[in-house]
This record gives sequence, C-alpha cells and structure tokens, in this order.
Amino acid sequence: MPEPRSNGDVRIGVYVCYCGGNISDVVDCEQVAAALRTLPNVVVARTDMSMCSDAGQALIETDILEHGINRVVVGACAPSLHERTFRNTIARAGLDAGLNPYLYHHVGLREQVSWVHQGNPQKATEKAIRLMMAGIAKARMLEPLEPTVLDAEQHALVIGGGVAGLRAAWDIARRGIRVTLIEKSPFLGGHMAQLETTFPAGEDARAALGDLIDQVVAHPLVTVHTRAELTGVSGYVGNFQAQITQQSRGVSQGFTHFAEAAEVCPVEVPDEFDYGMTTRKAIYRAYPGAYPDLPAIDWAHCDACGKCLSVNGTGLDLENKPATFDLNVGAFVVATGFRPYEPRRGEYGYDEHPEVITLPQMIRLLALAGDGPDLLWNGRTVKNVALIHCVGSREIPGVHEPQPDGQVNDYCSRVCCTATLHLATELRERYPHLNIFDIHEDIRTYGRGHEDIYTEAAANRVGFLRFHGDERPDVLPAPDGDSSPLLVRVKDYLTWGEELDVPADLVVLATGILPSPVDDIISLLKISAGTDRFLLEVHPKLQPVETAVPGVVLAGTAQGPMNIQEASAAASAAAAKVAVLLGQGSVKLEPFVARVNHALCDGSGECVAVCAYEDAITLQTVSDNGQTAQKAVVTPANCVGCGVCVSACPNHAIDVQGWTLAQYDAMLDALAAPLPVLESAT
Amino acid sequence: MTLTREEAKQRTAILKQVRDQHQETVDRTRARLKDQQTVRRQICQQLRGGPKIVPEIAEATGLPAHEVLWHITAMKKYDLVVEVGQCGEYYQYAMAKETES
Amino acid sequence: MTVKNVHVDVLVVGGGIAGMQSALDLADQGYRVALVEKEPSIGGKMIMLSKVFPTLDCCSCITTPKMSAVAHHDNIELLTYCDVQAIGDRPGGGFVIDVVQKPRYVDIDTCTGCRQCEYVCPIDLPSQFDRELGAVRAIRVPFSTAVPQKAFLDIDNCILCGKCQQACPVEAIDFAQQPETFTVEAGAIILATGFELTPAGAKAEYGAGELLNVVDALVMERLLAPTGPYGHVLRPSDGKEPDSIAYVQCAGSRDKTLGVEYCSRVCCMYAIKQAMLLSGALPLADITIYYMDIRTFGKGHEQFYQNAKAMGIEFVKGKVARITEDEDKNPVVRVELIEDGSKVVERAHDLVVLSVGMLPGYNPKSLYGVPVADDGFAAIPAPNIRPSVTPKPGIFVTGAAAGPMDIVDSIVLAGAAAAEAAAYLEEVRTPSPQRAAIEEAVHA
Ligand SMILES: Cc1cc2nc3c(=O)[nH]c(=O)nc-3n(C[C@H](O)[C@H](O)[C@H](O)COP(=O)(O)OP(=O)(O)OC[C@H]3O[C@@H](n4cnc5c(N)ncnc54)[C@H](O)[C@@H]3O)c2cc1C
Ligand SMILES: Cc1cc2nc3c(=O)[nH]c(=O)nc-3n(C[C@H](O)[C@H](O)[C@H](O)COP(=O)(O)OP(=O)(O)OC[C@H]3O[C@@H](n4cnc5c(N)ncnc54)[C@H](O)[C@@H]3O)c2cc1C
Ligand code: SF4
Repeated sequence: MPEPRSNGDVRIGVYVCYCGGNISDVVDCEQVAAALRTLPNVVVARTDMSMCSDAGQALIETDILEHGINRVVVGACAPSLHERTFRNTIARAGLDAGLNPYLYHHVGLREQVSWVHQGNPQKATEKAIRLMMAGIAKARMLEPLEPTVLDAEQHALVIGGGVAGLRAAWDIARRGIRVTLIEKSPFLGGHMAQLETTFPAGEDARAALGDLIDQVVAHPLVTVHTRAELTGVSGYVGNFQAQITQQSRGVSQGFTHFAEAAEVCPVEVPDEFDYGMTTRKAIYRAYPGAYPDLPAIDWAHCDACGKCLSVNGTGLDLENKPATFDLNVGAFVVATGFRPYEPRRGEYGYDEHPEVITLPQMIRLLALAGDGPDLLWNGRTVKNVALIHCVGSREIPGVHEPQPDGQVNDYCSRVCCTATLHLATELRERYPHLNIFDIHEDIRTYGRGHEDIYTEAAANRVGFLRFHGDERPDVLPAPDGDSSPLLVRVKDYLTWGEELDVPADLVVLATGILPSPVDDIISLLKISAGTDRFLLEVHPKLQPVETAVPGVVLAGTAQGPMNIQEASAAASAAAAKVAVLLGQGSVKLEPFVARVNHALCDGSGECVAVCAYEDAITLQTVSDNGQTAQKAVVTPANCVGCGVCVSACPNHAIDVQGWTLAQYDAMLDALAAPLPVLESAT
Repeated sequence: MTLTREEAKQRTAILKQVRDQHQETVDRTRARLKDQQTVRRQICQQLRGGPKIVPEIAEATGLPAHEVLWHITAMKKYDLVVEVGQCGEYYQYAMAKETES
Repeated sequence: MTVKNVHVDVLVVGGGIAGMQSALDLADQGYRVALVEKEPSIGGKMIMLSKVFPTLDCCSCITTPKMSAVAHHDNIELLTYCDVQAIGDRPGGGFVIDVVQKPRYVDIDTCTGCRQCEYVCPIDLPSQFDRELGAVRAIRVPFSTAVPQKAFLDIDNCILCGKCQQACPVEAIDFAQQPETFTVEAGAIILATGFELTPAGAKAEYGAGELLNVVDALVMERLLAPTGPYGHVLRPSDGKEPDSIAYVQCAGSRDKTLGVEYCSRVCCMYAIKQAMLLSGALPLADITIYYMDIRTFGKGHEQFYQNAKAMGIEFVKGKVARITEDEDKNPVVRVELIEDGSKVVERAHDLVVLSVGMLPGYNPKSLYGVPVADDGFAAIPAPNIRPSVTPKPGIFVTGAAAGPMDIVDSIVLAGAAAAEAAAYLEEVRTPSPQRAAIEEAVHA
C-alpha cells in the first residue's frame, strides 16, 4: 500500500455537510469551507446538502481517485451516526487507490455546533471552523490501521423465555446457529401465558404459545434451561463467556404424583399466575400444559417438611442445589420482558377497596369465573364495571406524583387501550346486562384490526367518558344507600367537562407496562436503560434492536411496551442481527485500542493496575534483541480503548490507536490557533 | 463531441422514427410547451421591470397566482429566476443575472 | 445496456425503507438478493419526507446512506425502473420471475448523472416528487439524492427534440431503447410494496381536492424539506407565508364513509412533528391541530406530544365537518368543538393540512397469489406470532404493505421478514421433520 512518507505527501479532502439544513441553518457552511481551503495540506474543501447520500459520497470517491486525496475529514452529524458510512466510502474508493479507511476523521458539527448554538450563527460558524481545523490537524497525523478479525462462536444466548425470547431463539436456530435460552422462572411463556384470548384476532393465547414452544424445544439446535439466570460475563462480541446459575427444580423426570403431592403440601402462597387472586402450593405448576411438563418446588416458600415425599418420593429432592456452568457464546439476545405496573396503595383506591383490581387481574378473574350468567366479585353480583385507562402511564411531570424511584411514567404503554376494549367486548358477550364504563384520556387502538375492537365496543353499549390528563378521575366510596359500593368521579369532556359520578361494583385499572427489573443484566452486559427505564437501542431507525455493546441485541418488551405482534417482529429482527453477526463465523473489531511502545515501556505495571477490563493489558516477558524484559502487552479483543492506561503510564509508552497523544496535541494547538483570515462574507 | 455525418444522420432517423411512434404525446406536449412559453414570456416581462412578488405578477398579467408561483418555482429551480428578498408575507423574485441580458 | 438473468436467494419487491432494510439484513448475512423497484430511484415515500419523528433526524441522513449501501452492496443486485410481469414456481422450490426493464432512454452504465440534459430540456412538468408544487424536466435525474444518480426520460411528456442528446457529454442518450425482459430466479420473495395516500379528492366535505390552500401532509413534508420546491413554507395559492395553519386529523382514516375504518397509525405523530418544525420555520405562526384522539403510542412518542403542547401548539378536540374557502382563498374550517359543548364554529386559516391516511398500495393477489385482507393490505394468517408470513409459502411481507406503520416499525418488520426468509431458505436446503408441520400450522 503506498503511504505518504512525509507531511508533504499529505493531501486532505475536507467536506462540510449541510445536513439537510440541520447544520447550515445555523452554520455558514460555505464560509467554513472557504476558511479551511486556505490551510496547508487541504487540497479540496467542499460542501454538500447531504454528504452521506450517494451523491455526497461520490464527491469523496472522485476526489480520492482524481485529486489523490489521502486523508478525509468530514464535518457532519455525530460520528455515531455516519463515521462508518464514510469509512466505507473510503474503503470502496480505496480498492482502487490503495487508501486505508482509517485515514479518516469525523467532526460533529450538528450535535456540537448547530444544535447547541442556534441563537448565535456567527460564533457557531467560528466554532465549526475551529473544530474542523482541529480535525485537519489530527488528519495530518493519521496512520493506517487494521481491524482485528476474530473467530466468532456460532452460538447465541437468549435471556428470557417469553414470546419474544422464544421467537428469537426459534429464528436463530432455524437460521442454523446454535441457541441456548435461559428462563428465570421454572416455566416458559412469560406473560402471554396469562392471557386467554388475544387481540387483534381473538386467538387462544396459550394454544398459540404452546405451538411456538413446541417448535422451539423440538429444534435440535436449541437448548432450554429454566430457573436459570446470567450471573457472569466476560469476553467480547463473537467470544463471550457467560456464566449461568441454575436453581434446582426439585422435581425430576419420573415424578408422577403431582396432584397428590400438591394436595398434601401444607404451604399455601398467592399464585402469581393469577396475580395473587388465587393460591397455590409450594410444589406447583404455572398452568396445566406449561412447559416443561414437570412441576417445580418454590424454594422461597417450601419449608422441606417432607409431606410430599410421603406420597411418593420418586423424583423429588427437597434441597436446592444451585449449579453454575459456563457457556461460550457469540452474542446475547436480551428478552427479559415486562412487568405490569402495580398501583400504589390508595391510587384510584387500589389496595384500599377490594373492588379495585388491575386489568391483568381482571383477565384472570374472567378466566376463573364460571359460565354463570352473572359476574361475581367478593360474593356480590357485579352490575357496573368501570374501566380506567392509563394507570401508571402517561403521567405528567409536575402534575402526578413521581414513582418511588423518583421517575414519572410519562410514556404510553401501548397495549392497555386495545386490551381494555378487547376485555370490554368479552364482558359484553358474556354478561349482556352489565353496565360497562370506559374512562379514558384518548383511545389508542392504532394497530391493524384494533379499531374494529373499539367500534365493536362502542356499538355494544360500552359507555365512554373522557378525562384530561391533568384531571384524572377519583375512585371514592359511594354514599350509604347506593347500590354499588364505589363511584368513579370524572370530569367528562364528552359532556362539556361536567363532573359525573359513575357507580361501580368493580373498578378495573388498565395498568401500564414497566420493564422487568434487570439491573443485574444491565451491569453484566454493560448495556444501558433510557429515562423510561426500558433498555436502550442505539438509534430507533438505524439500529433499532442493537445496543451500544457489540453482540448484545434486544427483543420484545424489555425495550419498550409492545403487543405480541410487535414483540415477535422485534425478536425476529434481533435474530436477523445475530445471524449477520455470527453467520459468517468471524467478527471484526475496531482497531481503536491501546498500543504499547516497547522501546519506552519499562514494565512498571501501572497500566495493568488501573485497567478496569480483564486481560486487556498484562505484563509479559518479551524478548527484544536477545534481551528479555517484562513489558505491557495489549490483547486488542479485550481492550475497549478507554485510555486509562495512557494516563497512567509514567513513560508515555502507551497510545490509543486512532487517538494518539501526538494527535491530541496537534488538535489542541489547532484549537488555540488564530482563525484563518477570510474576506468577510456578504 | 463531434459526430460523423453518418452518425448524425442515423440519430435523426431514430428520432424521427420514435417521434412517429409517439405522435400523440409529442403533439400534446408541444401544445403544452407553447402555453408554457407564452406564460413565461409574460412573467419575465414583469420581472424585467424589477423584483416582484407573486400577487403583483398575477395582477399585472391576469394569470392565476398559483400558476405564477409554479412557473417562478420552476424557473428558480433551473437558475433562471432568483429570490431576492422578502416583502411582508411574500418573497420577491427577479431574473437571474445571466439570463437578464 | 445488457440485462442478464439473475440468480439470487431472495427477491425483494419495492425499494422503500422496508425493502431496503430487508435486502440489507439478508445481504449482510451473505445471501444474494435482487431488489426490484418500479420507479427510476429507490427510496420510497421516506425519501420525500422532511425530518422524521420521533428523533427529528433529517430524513435523508437516515435514508440516503441506506440507499447508497443497497447500491454498493456486493450481494445486492439493484433493478430499478423494472416491473415484475409473471411469476412461476421453480421445480424443486423457489420462484422464476419475469421482469421487464422499462426503457430509461439513457444508458445507465454510461450516464454520469451530470444533469446537463436536464438543463437543456425545454419541458417543465409538475414534479410528482414535490407533489406538483415544483417542476421537473422531461429528462431528469429523479431527485437530488436519487439512487442510482442516473437520468431517465419521461417519453410521454417529451417532444423528442433531441436537445438532450446533443448536450450529453458521454453519449448516454438512446432514443431507440426498448423494454427488455429477463428472469430472476429466487428461493423466496419479500413484498415491500408500501402504501398509497388518501387521494386528494376523496372527501367532498374537505373541498374534494379543489381548494388550493388545503393540502395533504405529504405536501407539507415537501414544503418543510430543505430540498423542497419553494425553499420556504409558502402556501400554494399565491406564495404567501402562512400565519395560521391548521391540521385536520384522521382525514381519510377511521372514516366509514370512505371505507377506511382503521387508524393509519402515523398521522398523529407526523402532524405533531410538522407542527413542531413549522413553529421553528415560522415562529410567529399559530398552529392548531383538530383531532379526535391523539395516538402517540410508540417509544418516546408521548413525550414528543407533551413537548409539542408545551411549545404552544394548540390541540383542539373537534370533528371537522366541512372546509370551504373565503374570497382570499383562505380555507374556512367548520368544526364541532367537542369539549366546548359541541359548539359548531367556523375558523379561517391561511393553510389547512389534511392528515391523510395510509391506504393499501399494490395488490399482490393476481401476480404473487398473496390475498389481501378486508382492509386491503396483505393477509397475514398468524399476525401475532408470525407477523411477516403471508398465506403463500416462500412469500413474506414487510413495511406498510403489511398495514400502516411508521419507519421504525417498518425497519423492525423488515428485519423480521429477512429472518423468516433466511429460515425458509435454510429449511428448504436442509429440510427438517418440523418443517412440514410448521407449514401446515401456519398456512392452514
Ligand atoms: C393486561 C395485558 C393484556 C395484554 N393483552 C394482549 C393481547 O391481547 N394481545 C397482544 O398482542 N398483546 C397483549 N399484551 C401484551 C403481551 O403480553 C406482551 O406483548 C408479551 O407478553 C411480551 O412478551 P415478552 O417476551 O417481551 O415479555 P414477557 O412475556 O414478560 O417475557 C419475559 C420472560 O423473561 C423472563 N425473565 C425476566 N428476567 C429474566 C432474567 N433476568 N433472566 C432470565 N429470564 C428472565 C421472564 O420470567 C419471562 O418469562 C397484554 C399485556 C397486558 C399487560
Ligand atoms: C406525510 C407523511 C409523513 C410521515 N412522516 C413519518 C415520520 O416522520 N416518521 C416515521 O417514522 N414515519 C413517517 N411516515 C410513514 C413512512 O412514510 C412509512 O412508514 C414508510 O415510508 C413505509 O415504508 P415502505 O418501504 O413500507 O413503503 P414505501 O415508502 O411506500 O415504499 C414502497 C416502495 O415500493 C415500490 N413499489 C410499490 N409497488 C411496487 C411493485 N409492484 N413493484 C416494484 N416496486 C413497487 C414503490 O415505488 C416504493 O419505492 C410518514 C408518512 C406520511 C404519509
Ligand atoms: S395504550 Fe391507552 S391506556 Fe395505555 S397508556 Fe396508552 S393511552 Fe393509556
């Protein structure tokens, strides 16, 4: 590869992007280009409406081929968005010109200039020139780099066995890549198992889920571990070591006396499957037909009394022996799902009046209710039901009380509106005489087939009332003598903001969706959550299921509220990303890692002491000119390029490639230098 | 690019042949072009008198304002007209320098 | 030009954001993909937009790099300005597809996209890309960020004067070009044919498309776009900068009289987005949104809505019964104010934007054998668990062809369709005992 030998050979192409107005509305891009054109080594300085477009990229390609440009500086949006785009441009042109794609520097003129200095175009333009000058100064000192190519383990770990995790596992396996799925609870299926029929098509939830589970567990490339959690992670994309801890089930194949054992078990606890509306024993099964087809012992509640053993002990072991094992995997799919919002005590009378329940509870209540003509609750016939939307969702900062963690749930939970109306329709079908009141802020039946559910509910005598977000309804005890125990007081904007009292024998709170608590996963995988607490994607359009950590992708409601269809789609999309990453058997890592100059290194080990990453930098015996000495050695795959070692080294022996100290010095000098003189713009 | 006589002849022949095949649309488009030229002439005449806003041109020519706007937009796109400033709620347009002469 | 027969793993039909993403997700896995687009450039509707919710990224910053990636990908064969004519089953699985390359009258290999032809062409036509507000020439590069950056000639609006041929520096113009047919062999097909908008004349009550200052939201996208026709937000009747702009929501959706009973999903968000962009472009303008429900359900969308409220955009719950025009061509909106005693009032604005709906576009029934559901979008037998699988084995669907959806949802579903297609190919290659059962279950 012909590389420039001296500064004299450096030919820099500089490009200033308008970003479709995002930058040029504030920064005078033409003036920036004009100023930069005067700098040494700058051969061309151009502007374009959008540099990242094919036409914009073609400018760079042409300049490389025709003007012998051998360094490129683009001032545009954030590097996270398009640094790679332009590196690929150089690589493409470089095929002919022999140019290394790392001879590139990206300056963020949008996030760092135009978006933050809207009110001051002149100063913004000056700042843009300075940042570009610094970039050019760095570009003069850029050197060719090569990415690290490593073998990738063709094996993915899916965390979470709800519909999203199952769907992701199935797609990855069908693509020919090995999958291990771990589920924290003893049974697969997640929240979908707790539904009866699902919107939009009225499909039988557990039947559809059961079909999917059957496909997944039958697939030869899939291994499922229930009661298993991720407890340790090391390594890097393509080659992670995952430590998994699995609690025992307490029950093994061959155990056949579940009914009798449950009968004699003296421990009775609220059944989470029915959201605490029924109880179960310490030996239990989530629901009939749950996978695996074996009960489990609830270690939190089993007191090892041994009564179940007395029925027939074959296959029972009342001691929990957690086991840990390691897996070598290339990628993670995080599908840890959601939990329904649990209202505070007193919120709409929840936990104060027994007649106030949540939507998930109501779904279970209907599943448990017999075929009788009346809906019963607490032994009373329910005549009036009030459904209240947006409980724990769409809260307004400053208006609504923050959650215990200080957050305000200011997002829409997306599924509750349609789920509520789906429920209303079922109520109407089963209990024709019931009065149903739907109390909402907006009705968001947005999806395919959802509006029909709304129309049907409206046609079926569901009464709609509408409140304003800052004037939510109150649930109050009804005055003595009323036939219903509660009333919902709502300022109804469908009747001119009049205050109405709606009688209620049962109040159903359409509670929203919160992410499962996954602080452990977040810290193990070094991913992050957004302000809404859901796991964060890199960019909603460019990388909608990828996290900032290479090799970690998201599937389903762990990322945000979704219905089953959306969770399935996201999971399949995540599977596609895993296939892109692992399907070829190798991964490429960026070369921005530490590099030790062994001539300067005296093996002090200070770098090793400060490095936070395992095996990223170590002291090794190195032989140089027949002499052996202890020197620091970097393992590029483990190094994240944070640069802590650079600052710790007493001998200035370490640099981060692509961001060397000398390059920083040059940038600082350029920032402090006077601006190029220009004939003033008109 | 210079063509040989032969090539030039061949081109003309192909054009004629294609023109015959598309007689109907060619005629229609020709008529359209005529109208376009008439309107353009009127608009340019107005602009030669100095920068104007759309309603002024519309009033002076009797053309509907939205048509004037469309033609101005077209001419601006192909550098025949330039926008020179703002006058109240309207932008002012003028002939581009090179085309003025 | 030579068009060869193409052998690929997957044929993607439609080069909007959904089709491009499916193609990239497959090509990045090493599958060979052909992408066929009926227009001279890929990009779909998205490339016409200004900035996109919820992040307010400039639209071309998201779209154009994907367009470029599609064009340059080693595993993608890009077939623009092509129509699929016939499809047959390939013996042993897969499809044989007859494709016709429509004549561009420009040799695509020679053309450099210099646009000299465009500058000499005497014919100005209403630009479909700019929703007829701007002009294009009869020969042109479709739009500034088109991929491929190559000219094509709209022969139906050409006088065949030959000026372009004289101007072309590389002799790319070829009036003798004829349609050429070739075949594509593919193991699977992904339909990404997108959507259409509610037609301008759909609602007589809203002026039947006759009122100059009642425009649809895609017009407003063009007005707001940096590459837009006027370079400013001006109203089409006379070029006036509007002072008061109103949005009419659900104009073409949730409307029995139009036979469109569903919600189009994106209109609330795009209206709020445009309102925000307008308050940036025209800080003094009053902006009103007449709505029935605000459906900002997506990730980050509710917060977006609350920001818009805080910026002073007025949200009025009301049913717009009629739109007429006063003598200054100001649209007059007759609206029932639902939260104000259902009082009916008339309000004049400078410009009214109809938040038009997403209607089904291409119907894949006759050619692809994929039926459509009652709403006109592709039928999806198991929408919950397999949202991109059609009743026809080997044919998948993504993007707005599978029902109204925004860009994020289209991109995610595109990944899902790619995963389904990849799995389908692998299972055909190594049939598993499960496959028959799966097929049966899904296509029953
Ligand atoms: C009341 C209600 C009604 C609904 N009705 C419908 C409907 O009719 N139609 C519809 O389409 N959608 C409906 N939904 C939405 C639907 O339930 C969800 O879209 C779907 O269940 C999401 O699946 P998931 O896999 O993302 O999450 P989940 O179902 O929550 O699954 C996540 C799984 O991960 C496991 N897990 C969590 N943390 C860990 C960990 N650290 N390690 C290992 N495993 C872990 C959990 O135990 C769980 O099994 C409804 C939701 C609610 C609340
Ligand atoms: C006014 C407006 C504003 C919007 N703003 C936003 C926004 O800010 N953010 C957001 O997320 N979403 C927005 N959307 C939605 C967004 O436009 C769509 O989500 C997106 O364009 C869907 O992409 P698609 O690829 O499915 O369809 P399309 O963009 O319609 O692409 C379909 C492609 O297929 C081609 N095609 C069709 N039929 C055939 C055929 N038979 N053969 C070959 N090719 C064919 C078409 O030519 C086209 O190129 C907006 C929509 C509108 C109307
Ligand atoms: S889906 Fe409906 S009920 Fe749920 S938060 Fe959104 S608006 Fe409220």
